[in-house]
Amino acid sequence: MQVLLDFWAAYRSTVAFAIVNAFFALSTYAVLGAGILSFATVAFAAIGGFLGAQIALSLGLGVFWLVPVTALAGLASGYLVAAIFLRLDSHWMALASLALILITRVVVINLPSVTGGVNGMSVPSSVTLWMLVLMLALIALVFYQINNSWYGIAATAVREDPAVASTLGISPRKIQMIAFCISGAVGSVGGMLLAMVLKFVSPDTYFIHLAFTMIAAVVLGGSYHWAGAIIGAAVFTALPIAAQAVIPQFEHVANGIVLLLIMIFMPRGLIDPRAIRLRRQARASRGTLS
Amino acid sequence: MSISHRRSFVIAAALATALALPSVPSAQGLPPGEYKIGFMTENTGPIASAGVSFWNGAQLAIDEVKSRAYMGKGTSIVLQTKESGSEAARSIQNMNQFIADRSILAVTCCILSPVVGSVKPVVLEAKMPLVIYGATAVGLPSPPWVYSMTILPGPKDIETGLTVASEIKAKTAAYILANDNEAFRNRLNDTRTALEAKGVRTAGVVNVLTKDTDFTAAATQAMGLKPDVIFIYATQSAAVGAVNSLRDRGFKQTIVGNDVLAPETVFKRMGQTAVGVPFPVSFSSALAESAEGKAFIAAYEARFKSTPDIYSAQGYQAIWFIAQGLKSISGTPTRASLAEALSKITSFEHNVYGGEIMKNGQAQTTGTLIVNWSPDGKLVRWTAPKN
Amino acid sequence: MSLFLEQLINGIALGSLYALFGLGFGLVFSTLGILNAAHGCYASWAAIAAFYFAQWFQLPFVAAVAVGIGAGGLLALLVDRIAFQPLRDRGHEMLGALITSIAFWIILDNLAGLATGQQSLTFPRGTYPNHLFRIGDIPVSAMQLITIVSMIVVTVGLHLLIARSRFGSAMRAVGWNPNAAALSGVDPARTMVVIAFLAGATSGFAGVLGGVMTANVSYSLGESLMLKGFAAVVVGGYNDVRGTALAGVALGILEVMTSQYLSSGLRDGITYALLLGFLLLRPRGLFGSAGYSRA
Repeated sequence: MQVLLDFWAAYRSTVAFAIVNAFFALSTYAVLGAGILSFATVAFAAIGGFLGAQIALSLGLGVFWLVPVTALAGLASGYLVAAIFLRLDSHWMALASLALILITRVVVINLPSVTGGVNGMSVPSSVTLWMLVLMLALIALVFYQINNSWYGIAATAVREDPAVASTLGISPRKIQMIAFCISGAVGSVGGMLLAMVLKFVSPDTYFIHLAFTMIAAVVLGGSYHWAGAIIGAAVFTALPIAAQAVIPQFEHVANGIVLLLIMIFMPRGLIDPRAIRLRRQARASRGTLS
Repeated sequence: MSISHRRSFVIAAALATALALPSVPSAQGLPPGEYKIGFMTENTGPIASAGVSFWNGAQLAIDEVKSRAYMGKGTSIVLQTKESGSEAARSIQNMNQFIADRSILAVTCCILSPVVGSVKPVVLEAKMPLVIYGATAVGLPSPPWVYSMTILPGPKDIETGLTVASEIKAKTAAYILANDNEAFRNRLNDTRTALEAKGVRTAGVVNVLTKDTDFTAAATQAMGLKPDVIFIYATQSAAVGAVNSLRDRGFKQTIVGNDVLAPETVFKRMGQTAVGVPFPVSFSSALAESAEGKAFIAAYEARFKSTPDIYSAQGYQAIWFIAQGLKSISGTPTRASLAEALSKITSFEHNVYGGEIMKNGQAQTTGTLIVNWSPDGKLVRWTAPKN
Repeated sequence: MSLFLEQLINGIALGSLYALFGLGFGLVFSTLGILNAAHGCYASWAAIAAFYFAQWFQLPFVAAVAVGIGAGGLLALLVDRIAFQPLRDRGHEMLGALITSIAFWIILDNLAGLATGQQSLTFPRGTYPNHLFRIGDIPVSAMQLITIVSMIVVTVGLHLLIARSRFGSAMRAVGWNPNAAALSGVDPARTMVVIAFLAGATSGFAGVLGGVMTANVSYSLGESLMLKGFAAVVVGGYNDVRGTALAGVALGILEVMTSQYLSSGLRDGITYALLLGFLLLRPRGLFGSAGYSRA
């Protein structure tokens, strides 16, 4: 029993980080599900993180206040980004979102009164693991509902073929705007949670390595279903810890190699609704034959 | 004596002895055994070369504490290591794993500020003693739980600036600053204030960034200010780049560096351009005068085939600090009793600096050694150039 | 005034480095439509290879540079075969290529870190030309001159290759539609191999020169070149090498002048703002041709 408790105490922070990464992965998935590759989640996370940290510091509000505030800020940011960036096509959109991350960091460094500047700032935090689990459950519920709503179907249509979607009366632009708003809200809350778990934020907290982890998580888990994002995040959070136990020098390389292998052999990811459906059909037809 | 009398006599004698024993002073101290300390290494990641230095110093200390039976017969410290890669998220996870292991009595860590910033609240909440071996930020210690072994460079900078400026009779000074590093900004401001008070005019401050790779523009800018002396306040890569660029573009006057130029690897990188650039060191293998310092250098060189630097010394002292704390505990130590013992330490019994004290959880040495690299790669005391 | 001129020359030299890198990056981007996040690694590894070969075999400067160029090209070829070719065979999708290139970025960057022992290495003095020339009052280092001249030579060479030679037509045809190109007698596979090698070699060249000039051989060399070179490609126009070259030089000058006359904190910010601005307002860049799209 003691062994179990000790193991839990040792690894609970890993679970916490996995949950936070799941938020980022879901935020990326939100737009990917509508056919857009965007790294803007990192910028949304930065907004949520620094905003949350400042509010916690100056107003002393707890997490239950911070969630709606950062979600709203994220939503507004998502809307803004969509308004400006959506006119670009996919190539340029991805690049522009990358440039956005770079600019965000420059802004963070040059606003020390708000963000603590280059050295970062401490964050007073009272978030517990159970709060995180609760929030993950809630967000999973939200995504489940979205997926089964008209929006979910419309988004899939836009993703697969925007031209066809618009002939069906769906406005791709509108769907993508909604996608960005969702992405913004989720990403912002995720950023705030990261600040709470780390208890410290600095300009490097929300930067390019975060973008890679999110993309890798979504791709691994499966970019065709929201549950894939959560699973992918869990795997990519646990991977460096596991690799460290085996070969410490190569743990980051391990992340890259796993991502490469997935792209070559399993590009649709682990949770692939189409593959599951096909397998089920194959099993059903085999059943009728025998 | 009858048998019953003899028996009662024996019993009485035994009782008397048993009662008398506790009043013998408990010079038993620390029971023999291995005592586990968690050591968070930064051997991969952006500052791995410094991280390895700290780690080597610590390993040497472990061996010495054991072989000299410093804490008592049959006692030794054993290190449980985890690699952080200088990342805050991993450091937190590692720290939690250390905390969860009941047999670990204290932890050591950290070089970068984001890492130490994330880890400090965790150890404070979990009541685990933390000995910081490398972070140079001011104000980190929090006795009885958090201590810092870093010999802070700030005061040495001021001393060096004043000494050099007066020896070369400089009237104007220019500064090259890594503007995105708050610690260096503060150090520059302190030195600048002190110099201006002595009448050395500030020609200007040229800003660079720690991640910069090209310094031609900055060097040109600094030289354009026509100063008598240029001070460099930047991290290692940037400082090396700046000095190289200045010399490449023909700047012949004195350039004052800082402690980041001390490691041997810097001389390997810079070669002859490093010669004659003064900077302060708190520990130097070439100039250690105390017996303990010399012994440390010899042992380190024998084992690791390279010369120890200030980082090695700090890592080494971190372990000796903990050992000194453990030694003063009677009976089985706990995290709380170790924290208390550490808080009581004011001076170091064993140190390589020729004198080290502990003030409010921060280690300090007195005196400033101003050195520069000589053409054959040794650190020598700086003297003003003759002309 | 002489300070201004001196910084101008510094800016041109720095910009030439960015331009040289951007040429390689733009080559793959404009002909094959691949946004390669790992391209910066070719530059880092070229510098690392040049450093170690120069050290082990006591090579003179020119030989070391040649090694670097070759290393960059070979690495680019390797990545193309492993990462991009399988995607092309499967019905290439841009997102997939980007993500795969990210995977390679992670792998190559971390391996580069291991190769340099997590430090930045410096070419020892004496392994490269170190004279300081003077044009009137203004110092110009030999390395700066070499970089500027190299950039001009490579730009002219590439432009002639792409616009005026048969191979250049083959390159453009393959980029547009490999099957149609095959029908016209072009061998797409071989053409792509050459393109990949050229792109890696050019960026490798920039890597070696940059590593020597900035005394920084490490994975961060590639990263910084990548960001600036990428900006050069976007601002200059990704399907015109002359545009990329001009934009690279302009960015270098802008960077140096901003540091000197404004503030170094804004330096990178201006480059990124320009990048974002062009992406949003004029993605084809200053000299690119409109209507260049991939279906």
